[in-house]
Amino acid sequence: MRPKLRVLHIFVAIALVLGLRPNQTAQATSPSKPRSNASQSLAIVVNRSNPTNNLSFSELRKMFLGEHSHWPNGHRIAIAMLDYGQPERQTVLRLIYRLDENGYQNHLLRGMFLGDVFVAPKTLASPLILRKFVFNAPGAIGYLRASDVDDTVKVVRIDGLLPDNKDYRLQIDERSVE
Amino acid sequence: MLKQTEFISREIVSAYQQPTSAGFFARKLSRHVSTILLLLVLCGEAGVGVFVIRDLTMSYATVEKMYNGSVQGLLRFGDLQYEAQETRRSTLYALTTTDGNLQVEYADQSRKADQGVTQGIIQYLAQARTPRESKLGQRLENDWGAYLKVRDDVLGLILEGSPKEAVQLDLRVGVPEFDRVRQDLDEIKETYSEQASQQLAAVAGFSRRSITRLSASLGIGLLFGSVAIWAIQKSRMRSAVQLAKLQMDFVASVSHELRTPITGILTAGENIRDGLVLQPDSLFEQGSVITDQASRLMELVDQVLLFAATSTARPTHSLRELQVDHVIADAVRSTKGLLEQAGFTIEAQIEPALPPITGDLSLLSQCLQNLIANAVKYSPDNRWVGVSARMNEEGREIQISVQDCGIGIPASDLAHIFEPFYRSPHVVAAHIPGTGLGLSIAKRSVEALGGELNVSTQLGVGSVFTVRLPFANESLHRIRMAPAARTGT
Repeated sequence: MRPKLRVLHIFVAIALVLGLRPNQTAQATSPSKPRSNASQSLAIVVNRSNPTNNLSFSELRKMFLGEHSHWPNGHRIAIAMLDYGQPERQTVLRLIYRLDENGYQNHLLRGMFLGDVFVAPKTLASPLILRKFVFNAPGAIGYLRASDVDDTVKVVRIDGLLPDNKDYRLQIDERSVE
Repeated sequence: MLKQTEFISREIVSAYQQPTSAGFFARKLSRHVSTILLLLVLCGEAGVGVFVIRDLTMSYATVEKMYNGSVQGLLRFGDLQYEAQETRRSTLYALTTTDGNLQVEYADQSRKADQGVTQGIIQYLAQARTPRESKLGQRLENDWGAYLKVRDDVLGLILEGSPKEAVQLDLRVGVPEFDRVRQDLDEIKETYSEQASQQLAAVAGFSRRSITRLSASLGIGLLFGSVAIWAIQKSRMRSAVQLAKLQMDFVASVSHELRTPITGILTAGENIRDGLVLQPDSLFEQGSVITDQASRLMELVDQVLLFAATSTARPTHSLRELQVDHVIADAVRSTKGLLEQAGFTIEAQIEPALPPITGDLSLLSQCLQNLIANAVKYSPDNRWVGVSARMNEEGREIQISVQDCGIGIPASDLAHIFEPFYRSPHVVAAHIPGTGLGLSIAKRSVEALGGELNVSTQLGVGSVFTVRLPFANESLHRIRMAPAARTGT
C-alpha cells in the first residue's frame, strides 16, 4: 500500500471512530423508566408496515451485523441501536453480536472500511426515540424492553417465539451493564 | 207665584246652546296644547330612538356574524397555513442532519404540525356553509392526505439513511403535492376574503342606512320640536295679548264704571256747595244721588275685591252647613233694592225638605246676587226673574237656577262669558254697563265650593244659570279637591 493511501485510511478510521463514539450528552439527558433488577425480555421491533413477522436468530444476527442491506419488500434496512451503556444495548451486543463494545466498534470500522457492512446502525438516545424511529422508518429494525413496546411498532417473532414465550432467547441481564 | 211645573216649562233650554262635550274637550285641548305638543315630540323622539337602536342592533349582529365567520375563518386559515408550513419545514430539517435523534425529533414535529392541519381541515369542513366551501374542503383534505403520504415516505427514507432518494422523492412528488395544498389554502383564503368583503359591504350599507335614517329622524324630530316650540310661544303670546287686552278692557270698563258714580257724587256735591240746591226736597234728592252713587261705587269695588279674592289659590271662606232656602233668601234680600228699583218681580220655587249643603254663605249669596243682577241687567223688557232650588234626578246634588226672560246669549259668546273681564261686543255696543267680572266671580265661587255653574240660553227668549252643589257629606271632599284642580289648570 502506498504511504499516501495509508495515511488517508488512517484519517478515515479516526473519523469513523469519532463519529461512532457513544453520545454522552444524549445518554445523560435521556429519559429512563425505573427498572427492576429482574430479567426481562428484549423485543425485536420493526415498522408496522413491514410484512415480516418472523425472523430466525441467524437472520437477525446477519441483519444487525450489517450483512443484509434491504428487506424482502425492498426497503433499506435501518438498524436502531440504543446509546452506549444501556442494558438493552449490552444484551444485544452480548447475545446477537456476540461482541463487547470494543469488538462492536472494531467490527463496524472494519466492515465499513472494507465494504462488508452495508448498514451503519443509528445510535439513539432512549427507548422512546428508538420507538419513534422505528415508527417513522419503514425499513427500521430495533430492540426494546418488552415493557417499552406499544402499538406504534410491531414485534417480530424470533425463531417463532415472542418475548413472553418460554425459551425466548433474548433476555436482558441488568447486571451486564458496565 | 208660579208653580214648579210652570217654572220648569219656562226654562229655555236649547241643545245647541248648551256647552257641548266637543266644545269642552276643545277648551281642555287648547289649555293643554303645549303639554300635548311636548308629549308628541317626546313620542317622536322615542320612536326615533327605537328605530336607531334597532338599526344599530342589526349592524352589530352583522359585524358579529362577520367576525365569527370571515375574521375567525381567516385566523383559522392563518393557523392552518402555518401548521402546513411547519409540517414541511420539519420534514426538510430532518434532511439537514445525520443524527438519528434529531431526525426523530424533526419527524415528531412534522407529525404534530400535520395533526394541527388535519384538525383544521375537519373544522373547516364542519363549518362549511356553501357547496363551494365543502368542495374546497374536500379537495384540501384529499391533497393534504396525498402530501402526507409522500411526507411519510420522505421521512422514512431520511431515517433509513437514504437522503438522496428522499430529496429526489420530495422534488418529484412532494413539492407538487405541497403546491396543490398551498393552492387549496389560497383558494380558501380567497373565499374568506370574499365573504369578509361582502359582509363588510353589508355593514357599510347598514351604516349608511342608519346614518340616513338617523339624520332624517333627527330632522323630523327637530322639525317637530321647532313646531312645538313655535306653537307654545304663539299660544303664550296669544294668551299674553289676550290678557293685556282684557286688562285694558278692564281698566277702561272699571274706569268708566268708577267715573259714572263719581261724576254723580261730584255734581251733587258741587250743587250743594255752590248753593244751587237750597230747598229741603232738592237737598234730599241730591243727598240720595250721592248715597246711591256711593253705594254703586262700593258695590263695584266689592266686585273687584271679590274677584281678586276668588282668584287666589288658597280659599279664605269659612265652610259650614247651609240650608238652601236660607242662601236664596239672603241673596234675594240683598238684591231686593236693585229689583224694586228696576221694577222686577222675583219668583222663588224651593223644593221642600232639601238636604243641607256645605259652603260659605256670603260666597254663595254673592254668587246668586251676581246671577240675579245679571238677569236684571240683560232683561230690558220682561222684568221677571225666577229662582228655583231642587234635587237633581239622581238625588245626588242640589240645583239652584236663576232664570230670566232677557236677550239671551249669542252662541259665539257662550265659550267666553265666564272668562274674567269678558264683555260681549253686542253688550258693549248696547251700552249696557258692567265690568265683565260678575259671571266669572259666580263661577269661581261655585267651583271653590266643589260645585259647577252651567248656562242654557236662547237668543231673544232668555237664559237659565244653574248652580250645582253636592250635599254636605260629599261637598267637603269636592271642596278639598277644588283648589288643587284650579291651581292645576
